[in-house]
Amino acid sequence: MSLNSKSSVGVESPVREPEPDESQRVERAGPRRHTFQRYALVMVLVLMIITFAVLPESGSAFRSPENVRAMLANQAVGLTVAIALLFPMAAGYFDFSVGAVTATCSVVAAALLSQAGLPLPLAVLVAIIVGATAGLILGVLIAVLDMNAFIATLGTATLLGGLIFAYTGGLQITSGIPSSLTDLGSLSVLGVPRIAVLAALIAAASWFVMGHTPFGRQLFAIGSNARAAALVGVRVTRVRLLSFVVSGTVAGIAGVLLLARQGAATSDNGMTMLFPALTAVLLSTITLELGRPSVAGTVVAIFLVAVSVSGLTLLGAPAWVGPVFDGAALLVAVAFTRLAAGRSNRS
Amino acid sequence: MDEPAIELSGISKSFTGVPVLRDVSFRVRAGSLHALLGGNGSGKSTTLKILAGIHRAEHGGVIRVHGTRHDTRDYSPATARAAGLRFVHQELGLVPDLTVSENFALDGGFPRRYGPAIGWRALHRGTQEQLDRAQVRVDARTPVRELRPSDRTLVAIARALRDSDRGRHITLVLDEPTASLPQHEVDVLLGALRECRDRGQTIIYVSHRLGEVLEIADRISVLRDGEVAVDIPASGASRESLIEAMTGASVEPPARRAPGEGDPVGPALLRVQGLSAGALRCADLDLAAGEVVGLAGLVGSGRTSLLRALFGDLLVRAGTVILDGQAVTVRNPAEAIELGIALVPEDRAGDAAFLDRPLWENVSAASAGDYWSGWRMDRRRERSDALALLDRYDVRAASADAPFASVSGGNQQKAVLARWFHRAPRVLLLDEPTQGVDAAARADIHRFVRAQVSGGSAALVASSDAEELAELCDRVVVLREGRSSAVLSGPQLTEARISQLAQEDRSDLDVPEQ
Repeated sequence: MSLNSKSSVGVESPVREPEPDESQRVERAGPRRHTFQRYALVMVLVLMIITFAVLPESGSAFRSPENVRAMLANQAVGLTVAIALLFPMAAGYFDFSVGAVTATCSVVAAALLSQAGLPLPLAVLVAIIVGATAGLILGVLIAVLDMNAFIATLGTATLLGGLIFAYTGGLQITSGIPSSLTDLGSLSVLGVPRIAVLAALIAAASWFVMGHTPFGRQLFAIGSNARAAALVGVRVTRVRLLSFVVSGTVAGIAGVLLLARQGAATSDNGMTMLFPALTAVLLSTITLELGRPSVAGTVVAIFLVAVSVSGLTLLGAPAWVGPVFDGAALLVAVAFTRLAAGRSNRS
Repeated sequence: MDEPAIELSGISKSFTGVPVLRDVSFRVRAGSLHALLGGNGSGKSTTLKILAGIHRAEHGGVIRVHGTRHDTRDYSPATARAAGLRFVHQELGLVPDLTVSENFALDGGFPRRYGPAIGWRALHRGTQEQLDRAQVRVDARTPVRELRPSDRTLVAIARALRDSDRGRHITLVLDEPTASLPQHEVDVLLGALRECRDRGQTIIYVSHRLGEVLEIADRISVLRDGEVAVDIPASGASRESLIEAMTGASVEPPARRAPGEGDPVGPALLRVQGLSAGALRCADLDLAAGEVVGLAGLVGSGRTSLLRALFGDLLVRAGTVILDGQAVTVRNPAEAIELGIALVPEDRAGDAAFLDRPLWENVSAASAGDYWSGWRMDRRRERSDALALLDRYDVRAASADAPFASVSGGNQQKAVLARWFHRAPRVLLLDEPTQGVDAAARADIHRFVRAQVSGGSAALVASSDAEELAELCDRVVVLREGRSSAVLSGPQLTEARISQLAQEDRSDLDVPEQ
């Protein structure tokens, strides 16, 4: 990717060979450069879709409705987890616990359904409340008690992972999951997987909350400059606390979706869900809305990863390609975020 | 002495086709103190950057430094340094936790002893010699943190000058050296610079504090719209003529209320009784509608504490605040805003700016909640209101969508003021409202504040700039050690009197503060 060219702004330029457009280089990245940068990932995504759809080795399989449906359904949980990550991220915090909270809620829902025999709506509600409570506790630790977010969320994630193991003994809860729930994970409406429709609804709601409500504005104001936000009347502690509660709630929903999709509760600690979500959210900061995370950018990033992994697998690439692609994308995303931060005074 | 130390001729510069400098020429006589003045967008910073080699001027210009002619094409930061130009910026580039010696060594290298071991004694001795030569009365072993602000600047200057002992001609370029210094520190620094000039040092002095430029400079060049508007000896310049040269129009002094009206008129809008918070210890103050009241005092006298306490940003230990006859408790800024109080903080970048957000969003930041229509944010109305405010308060920027960080200081400050004016606050609290702002923007800001209070509100202005307080305020309350020690009004309200009262006991309080 040629995004790199923008990094050479500023003081060192006159030492180089004089060029006719020297003055342009000193200027901050112009509007045209921004436009390119904003849509770079979208263009990469479109190019990938076209390439995989046209290549004879992968074309017919890639274009098949089954594959498209599988891609959409497989990304529904990942997208929801990423959205859970988005809220604290907008307020300037990395939340490493969303994967663990998602896994916990999935186990809670499964246990309530299969062990306690609770009716489905009640089990789902309790699972979501557990997620919201986890968010509330994290919010109190971080926003009220001013604990380091990195430590608090990583500690919580480890602790929840341990609790899951203690309860499940490393075995999946597979029995007693009602088919009405697993249908949500496997059936389609109008050709679109139900679970993907649900994830899209959550994404749309989050997009609205982040972009079109005072809460969203306050969230990003805090992310930009918490001190200035406080001095224009934002109740910083309250908004930060709320961002963690919203995050926990969405993670709770993601846990239910995970159970619906897999038909069984995981016995892992959720870290495997955290990293793709983190990748997507970080990629979103260099897409569409530069320098800050966004729902739309996250959707693009989720699909970028999904399309590439699906296409490469169809081309016969081995299973390790998925994590390698995720990792590489994350590094690229962070590198570009840092470069963008260096230019626009954002730390 | 007729040989110019620095001569710029025919310097032009455009950024993406927009001309920023047009045929700028001026010469700086060796051994003189030459002031460079100009408002935001005048091309002052670009000229400096060209002189430093950071920007490259268009072909055809000539930069002559100490008798050597340089084509603009091959003039780089290395050329500027080799030619004997030394820059000291507003941010001095000193590490506060290290000693003066270590700060010298960071720049010039550590002397060695026994292989890699640092020769500390040699370092201290060498540094001390250089400080003594520059007549900076500071011990080389002192941590920079413990130095008073003016001494820090002098240490940075001494560090920049150290090649001069090799018999070379050096020109010192000082960029806004006094911008963040309190007045009494400014006086100390100006005295030292004058001595420095008298020893034959050539100095280019960039500032927008007209008073000190008139006091210290030999010659003044004023830039306006990328051209040299005026280039005259300082003896032939006056404050009015310089403002006129910078703005291109004569500036009317802000209308002050008639003399004799010094005492608060009518019932007090805001009454502060025995307030203690932060550095403030039992301060009293009255503020009437239509009044601009100044807060003078040294750093640490409680000026900022008073404003922050009134805005709910600082815990109040004791005392009463009465607004419109009602005792109020303000627990946080949100409550203060509800009550119609606004605060423009001193540290713009740290406390007021959303640097990465567009200019217009910065303007609407304090009112964003008002655009919630019950089911969504009315972004369109929010933006159009913000644009109208930018226009009304004459905020100039490439675009309202440009990031706040890309806008010049004066325009940033006007945007922050517009943010609060939009809420029509009853009590406007301003902390150093014109710090780091050029003369034209400063006059605008004073005018805006006046216009705002004429509608029945009141303003409380904390400033370390006595000139500003004398110009803008109806009354000035002098704070000392957290208490209100004097009130000036009417004919007593002069710059000299304010400075005198604020600094009366400076010997007891002469502790540099961070």
